[in-house]
Amino acid sequence: MPGTILENLSTKKLSVLLSVFLLSQLACFLLGLIAPSPARTQTILATVCVDEDPLSSRDDADQWFTRQCRKTVNLEDPKATDGLDANNLVFVAEMPLHGLDYSRWQQNLVGILQIDMYYQKEQKISNPLVELTLESRLAYSDKTSNGGKTPWKYFSHAEEKRYMNCSFDENANRGEGYQYECTMVSLFELGSLFHDYYLLNLRLPYNSTSNKNTALGRIHDIYLHTIYMNGGFTKVWVSLKTVFFPILVAIMTWFWHRVHKLNRTPVLLEYMLITVGGTLTFLNLPIEFLSLFFEMPYMLLLSDIRQGVFYATLLSFWLIFAGEHMLIQDTAERNTLRKYWKHLSTIIIGCLCLLIFDLCERGTQLVNPFYSIWVTPIGTNLALAFIILAGISAGLYFFFLCFMVWRVFKNISIKRSVLPSMSQARRLHYEGFIYRFNFLMLATLICAAVTIVSFILSQVDEGQNKWDETMDLELSSVIHTGVYGMWNIYICAMLILYAPSHKQWPSDVACTEGEEVEFSRIPNESTSNEISALTTFSTKANLD
Amino acid sequence: MRVDIDNMEVTVIIVMLLSLSEATNIGDMSARSKNRGKGSMWWGIAKAGEPNNLSPLSPGVPYLDSSAYYGTLRRKQRRLARENPGLLDAIAKGAKMAINECQFQFRNQRWNCSTRNFLRGKNLFGKIVDRGCRETSFIYAITSAAVTHAIARACSEGTIDTCNCDTHYKGRPQVFANGNNAAAVANVRDFEWGGCSDNIGFGFDVSREFVDTGERGKSLREKINLHNNEAGRWHVQSQMRQECKCHGMSGSCTVKTCWMRLPSFRVIGDLLKDRFDGASHVTASNGGNGRNNNKGHSNRLKHPRMNSIMSNSIHAKRENRRKLHKYNFQLKPFNPEHKPPGVKDLVYYEMSPGFCEKNPKLGIQGTHGRHCNDTSMGVEGCDIMCCGRGYRTQEIVVVERCNCTFHWCCEVKCDICRTRKTIHTCV
Repeated sequence: MPGTILENLSTKKLSVLLSVFLLSQLACFLLGLIAPSPARTQTILATVCVDEDPLSSRDDADQWFTRQCRKTVNLEDPKATDGLDANNLVFVAEMPLHGLDYSRWQQNLVGILQIDMYYQKEQKISNPLVELTLESRLAYSDKTSNGGKTPWKYFSHAEEKRYMNCSFDENANRGEGYQYECTMVSLFELGSLFHDYYLLNLRLPYNSTSNKNTALGRIHDIYLHTIYMNGGFTKVWVSLKTVFFPILVAIMTWFWHRVHKLNRTPVLLEYMLITVGGTLTFLNLPIEFLSLFFEMPYMLLLSDIRQGVFYATLLSFWLIFAGEHMLIQDTAERNTLRKYWKHLSTIIIGCLCLLIFDLCERGTQLVNPFYSIWVTPIGTNLALAFIILAGISAGLYFFFLCFMVWRVFKNISIKRSVLPSMSQARRLHYEGFIYRFNFLMLATLICAAVTIVSFILSQVDEGQNKWDETMDLELSSVIHTGVYGMWNIYICAMLILYAPSHKQWPSDVACTEGEEVEFSRIPNESTSNEISALTTFSTKANLD
Repeated sequence: MRVDIDNMEVTVIIVMLLSLSEATNIGDMSARSKNRGKGSMWWGIAKAGEPNNLSPLSPGVPYLDSSAYYGTLRRKQRRLARENPGLLDAIAKGAKMAINECQFQFRNQRWNCSTRNFLRGKNLFGKIVDRGCRETSFIYAITSAAVTHAIARACSEGTIDTCNCDTHYKGRPQVFANGNNAAAVANVRDFEWGGCSDNIGFGFDVSREFVDTGERGKSLREKINLHNNEAGRWHVQSQMRQECKCHGMSGSCTVKTCWMRLPSFRVIGDLLKDRFDGASHVTASNGGNGRNNNKGHSNRLKHPRMNSIMSNSIHAKRENRRKLHKYNFQLKPFNPEHKPPGVKDLVYYEMSPGFCEKNPKLGIQGTHGRHCNDTSMGVEGCDIMCCGRGYRTQEIVVVERCNCTFHWCCEVKCDICRTRKTIHTCV
């Protein structure tokens, strides 16, 4: 009877394989050391330009205000703004600052506004939720071969509403000249950073009839915080993917080849393994290289979907892995996905929710980078509903999974009590693969724990991760490459260790009469249905 | 020529600058005998942009040609200004901001932080600066804080270009002077690879280089100035608030990026005012020396050896920047039972002069004619403000704006109201 490699591999070979995995894991962590942090910010203080003829420039899509605009104004000086209208003011932010230019390696760009509003006695803010109407226009420009810039070209335009939560502590002897405490406002998200320079022209139009910016106080400064991926991180990340991609493809081919050499159709667990491998290969596929040559604003959405599909199959795999080693059904029918519909539906519902949410948010951003689902109350409720639903399914899933794993371990421990009555050869054999099964369960648990702990760690105040300012170690990038490498290695290990083995059971020959019953297959059960002796074993435990 | 430049125009400017520097060096020498305030000459650039009595500049021109600044600057400060175009404008803005903030914080006090239009910077706040008193410590702290703040702000405005990727500022500070091209290329590569650091780091370092020059002596007064300058900067640094944004998969927090947000300068002014109220009275390390220092500082240059040690430590700091205690000295509290002053505490060693009466020697205007509040028991109350001289009470009709409404951006609609007001003025 064919087992899996995990059961038949000698401890020596297993330890060699394990050390190879551990070494590559270490390499992944070390790779993170050379990478900078995944993303960086640049804060840009908007230059306030005066648009002397707002009506005509509204229609002119190619009129752009840059930092060198003809007339700037200092909003802190009330005299300077005399006679100006809200439509006259254009907040200009050129990205990036300091004569730098964006590289395509920097992948994407997020813009967040910080509006510094000052308290005035004349106009106290009655409602802490300030509604903003932002009329924003984005332009792009590229470097020319002789070091110049191409003229600004229209990229996108939208008038969007945003909400800003502002508070003011009127006690504490504060008054005029003090600033409101306001939350940040997210402005745009670009899925690809294809051009070298971007230019934001932001207006805050005032209109009392259509209720635009009526609650706005005196603004002194508007800061634009831009977040971009670090080119260095993308390089390290993509090279990690490029290395894993062919390795995984090779292992998958080898695995599938082995499965097909058997005189049976592949079983569910093998299908699941190859699917997980396939989705991971899809995730590993370094299509980021294409973004260096083509404008691909859907990269963010695509990478969300790729990650989502991988996580969904990995979660399903765990369920089925646990289920196949417990055998929920007592019938001899061939196990199909249908058996697990209850469990899998939690994953499907959760993932569908997140997919719809993502399509709503990032899908719309393909057309309008200024769009955010969180702005309108309906959108917020919808988004929250989707996320809560996904959360509930995630909770249900983990309940199912824990329950199943608990039952597997219970079966094994029941069977273990029977072990002393077996012959020594068989006992050693079974103890061996129980140990290996436990070991792999442990590996899964460790992987999951490491992932969760590391992401919690990266959430803890980023500033605290920097132990010393002179140390250029980036914990978050180490976590990202390490965890990514870990799941790759984990899947590789699963594919290798759960590939069908060609070795025959050595104990089958040596087995004595008395134990024949113990190891005989359950009636009606075909050999091809079994993936491993362990499953047989657990089935029997169940029947006992 | 020390600097090899191929451009004739630049050479001419450098020659001019050098000659200017000679001129001010002579000025420094003459000032040295009177000492003190040596490091605070640069305050003058706060007023350099304003229409002077001599040359009424049109107010529309915000930045005059920077040569007017140079008269008030030391050689190192001029070098910094040359290497970082736009720095002087930022510092001038910072100095103005410091004056405004100082006057705001002290609007209700006997000493109201009045300034005079002197191009020679150290007299900007009057001769009070010659005393090592609380007020002086506040002036030093607020000016250095304002410079840090203004530089960081100018960086994010893009008016100073050398703050990009400031991690390289620590390693090769001179690089911007000559190897502009190489530095620019390196910067672009750094930016692509790992982005750039927060502007506050640059603001802090440049402020330290710029403001602290000229305070390298061993005297208590200079240590106190350094300490107060540092205190100002640390207040800016510690008030930076972290803001974060999650932008991982589907906007989840698998990737979170944080940055530091510059505080409003009013917050720093408030904090420094609090520190002013609780400033520590310090004394020199041993009693004798302290008394000596209290009398005068003409003997300051007696310790050339110590001087060199100080400057050594200043060079060493580039390697590990922004150490908590950059200048290795600890000031001793006057009352040995008190705790020694911390990095953020303001320190002084002389008692404040009386601000009640006019004192031309110290440039104190006195509180004659100041408004006061007869119901308040605090410093703005008439009892304290008028120093017991009594006050006049008048009832006048004021024409005021009232019932104002505000429309974004710039429209304030007000009614004109006539109200009767009682005003109290110190005699």
